[in-house]
Amino acid sequence: MRKTTFPAVLATFVVCFLFWVLLTWSFTVQELAAGAVVSLAVALFSARFFIHEKAGWFFNPLRFLKLLGYWIFLFPVELVKANVDMARRCFTGCTDINPGIVKVPVGLKSDYGQAALANSITLTPGTITMDVAEQEGQTYYYIHWIDVTASGEEAGEAIKGRLEKGLKGVWE
Amino acid sequence: MAVRIIADVLIFLGAVFATAGTIGVLRMPDTFSRMQASTCVSTLGMLGVMLGSLLYAVCVMGSVSAAVKIGVIALMILVTNPIGSHAIAKGAYRHGVRPEKPMEVDDFRRDFDE
Repeated sequence: MRKTTFPAVLATFVVCFLFWVLLTWSFTVQELAAGAVVSLAVALFSARFFIHEKAGWFFNPLRFLKLLGYWIFLFPVELVKANVDMARRCFTGCTDINPGIVKVPVGLKSDYGQAALANSITLTPGTITMDVAEQEGQTYYYIHWIDVTASGEEAGEAIKGRLEKGLKGVWE
Repeated sequence: MAVRIIADVLIFLGAVFATAGTIGVLRMPDTFSRMQASTCVSTLGMLGVMLGSLLYAVCVMGSVSAAVKIGVIALMILVTNPIGSHAIAKGAYRHGVRPEKPMEVDDFRRDFDE
């Protein structure tokens, strides 16, 4: 069993407390105190399940800003492009497709980075990450792609090239 | 007034993408392509409607707490949706669901089947 570390508890506590404030949206001392107590209890019990790597990145403003920039600027652009493309295919009779499953190498090393990238790929219409495999130290995704035009490295560049570049500086 | 119009346009755009996704779910030829189309509904379809209602809540209703709740709903859908998609796609494939017309490229079958 993993040990409960102080940075992990602190990070979980901050997230829990922020959610409490967001959901109650009241700033009386009593409510905030109750939220703090509950968040601390939850953090103490569950931090070791949530935080598996160094929790320090959470408190590094530069990395946090990079992650925020990724979710606010880079990802929505890709999302809209993919959505428009998918909507066009749907409105023109769903015949303009060439589905297939490609195996692409991933450049990110940390668990968080890989999870964020896999979820971003799944969220963009047209690509779904089906499985993750590790071979000889290199991680691969199996991605179902609605319009296969390339394979291997090229497919990876076409599907996630820009997303991966955006996530690169956040965790490693 | 201008804000009302922007909110309406956003909600309309969300509805357009949701319609596209629904047409895709009904007409796509196989399970996995149908899942791809359904992603349209849960991303831009949902985000358009949520952004529209967010603007409406802040500027017309003047209720910050409603706006925050809308934001939390959107965040929750965005975080949980891909996890379900991974599980359904992998589960369906492992269970033996295959498109009628075989896929041209299928690295998953090459590496794990037979």
